[in-house]
Amino acid sequence: MAPRTVAPFGPQHPVFPEPIQLKITYEDEKVVNVVPAIGYGHRGIEKACELNEYQKNIYLCERICGICSCIHGISYCEVVERLWPIDVPPRAKYLRTIWSEMSRTHSHLLWLGLMADAFGFESMFMQFWRIREKVLDLLEMTTGQRVTHSVSVIGGVRRDIDDEQKKKCIKVLMEVRKESEALINVFINDYTVKARTVGKGVLTKEQAIALGCTGPHLRASGVKEDCRMQGLQAYGDLGFEPIVEKDGDSYARSVVRCRELLQAIDLQLEAFSKMPEGEIAVRPKGNPPANEAFYRAEQPRGEVVYYAKGNGTRNLERLHVRTPTYANIPSLLVMLPGCELPDVPVIIHSLDPCISCTER
Amino acid sequence: MIENIKEIKKDELLAEVKKFADAKARFVTAVCNDLGDKLEVTYFFNMSPGMEMHGLRITVGKDEEVPSTTGIFLATVLVENEMKEMFGLKVKDIAIDFGGHMLLAQDSPVTPMLKTEAAGRKGGE
Repeated sequence: MAPRTVAPFGPQHPVFPEPIQLKITYEDEKVVNVVPAIGYGHRGIEKACELNEYQKNIYLCERICGICSCIHGISYCEVVERLWPIDVPPRAKYLRTIWSEMSRTHSHLLWLGLMADAFGFESMFMQFWRIREKVLDLLEMTTGQRVTHSVSVIGGVRRDIDDEQKKKCIKVLMEVRKESEALINVFINDYTVKARTVGKGVLTKEQAIALGCTGPHLRASGVKEDCRMQGLQAYGDLGFEPIVEKDGDSYARSVVRCRELLQAIDLQLEAFSKMPEGEIAVRPKGNPPANEAFYRAEQPRGEVVYYAKGNGTRNLERLHVRTPTYANIPSLLVMLPGCELPDVPVIIHSLDPCISCTER
Repeated sequence: MIENIKEIKKDELLAEVKKFADAKARFVTAVCNDLGDKLEVTYFFNMSPGMEMHGLRITVGKDEEVPSTTGIFLATVLVENEMKEMFGLKVKDIAIDFGGHMLLAQDSPVTPMLKTEAAGRKGGE
């Protein structure tokens, strides 16, 4: 038996935009054991949410993550609205859906660019990010901000999308779809991409369920689960069907994200065509009652869970946030042992890890 | 009000969790609440098809030991460590036990999520 070596992978590593460490034990080039270490940037946001008034927590929750800040803000509002409960106007539900899918679009484009960069495809990285800029421009035009939008409030949304903005959004989204589709065709058919991802980091359907995986990671293993299937917000009107692949490897996870990128654009176009007229917010009365509520939404990286407990005051008794990467980390304990050391970055990156979310 | 939460005794926890594993449920999360002299822990599971949520709730004294569910669902490993260090929940036999320092550093406040005076002390005080 070859001697075993333990090597730290991270917390500073080119494949990690944020700090996390994996203590990897390997024999020759083969990984035999992995222990994750987190906590390098924990911010105590759950505790901070108990200390702040419930309206102010929207801004805190949006700062859990920069890339999925919009859905964090919406999810927080949704869970607090369930405490009363408050019925949000239909137009606000559509607007929340559109902004959620815009966030998914730019997040998947960001991931595709980073994945291309990890393979050394600099030009493809730049092309994906060039397209992503157009989506960020749409978010800036409709919400006023490119990253942290602060557009959702308890009871609805803060801003509406007028007809002129709607026309611009539809025009740009159609361009983004066409350009993304062309690049995706190159990406998923490329020899090097396949050589680095096919059969790497395989997770079976049974393992994915047992390990509590979520999002594209779960669906790439053949599990048809997506929080949008619940039909919340406007998804019930949009005929949503989750995208599923069967092979459970890094390539399948990449393909799920590519297909979801195009689907997210289609969902936005459909939502624009069906969006009803009307109010965009109702004003909540009083404080959240002594009650508890649970809400699940589909972020780009998977299911985010918000649990809130009210006590009748302006402050919440408890807020718990379970982010998708937090749920996906345990699967690394199964996926990495047995793989070759050079495959570790690709397998980790195929999860699209967000450490900022994990360290909420 | 959250539907489908079943209140159980601590001694029934592992047997009830095993039922979810046998039913091919997916572990979603666990939430700990400080009730003053007790801690309330709720484990949430997703059942397919239909994405139904089910919960198991136990209430234990702050000095009581709670068995780890990581032997059944490895997915609970992070959240059990987190409840242990943030609330002081005495979880026994976690598959990977970070010893109270998964998220908190050696000199961080201990059990910061508790609402009592025990929260906020520095490690070692």
